[in-house]
Amino acid sequence: MVGSVGLLAAAIAIGLGALGAGIGNGLIVSKTVEGIARQPEARGALQTVMFIGVALVEALPIIAAVIAFIVLNR
Amino acid sequence: MLNLFHIYKRQKKYILFLLAACVLGAAFTPQPTIFAGIGLGAVFGLYNFWILQRRMLKFDRAFDQGKKRVSLGTGLRFASGIAAVAIALSLPEYFHLISTVIGLMIPYVLLVIEQLVFAIRKQNEDAKER
Repeated sequence: MVGSVGLLAAAIAIGLGALGAGIGNGLIVSKTVEGIARQPEARGALQTVMFIGVALVEALPIIAAVIAFIVLNR
Repeated sequence: MLNLFHIYKRQKKYILFLLAACVLGAAFTPQPTIFAGIGLGAVFGLYNFWILQRRMLKFDRAFDQGKKRVSLGTGLRFASGIAAVAIALSLPEYFHLISTVIGLMIPYVLLVIEQLVFAIRKQNEDAKER
């Protein structure tokens, strides 16, 4: 059972992780859509870059969520 | 530039090789829990990648149809990461926890390495052409 500090730690970890992922994904998607609207022929390349970007942006928040879960269950 | 399908296909190939190595490691080494943990994490990491690829295609279709709201499945990927760790936490005699977290991140590391190799190769080819 975790104390209140453990709960706070888990909440901060997951909250900041989700905040970072949200901002990062939002920027990536908005710029990709902008790029596709400007240059529709570059759609495939932009989509690939977006795929890689979203994957890399989400790696750290997933770690944060996992650590929060570990903290909650220790 | 590599296509989305090609990236996913290659990732799948690398992870299957890794899983084969993990099975061998779990069967023939004195630390079976570590290899089992890496394998478990890698499977969930590959699942994350599959979700991402599927959602990207959905995003593409939604963009064509002019829809305003599309989900990229971030919550689902968080949940699958937590599911991997929950399995490792509930079965500590079979899966090592830290190895599971490392295994979960292996597809991302492979993605970065693959893109670096691709960029270096392309740079070398361009230099040869000049």
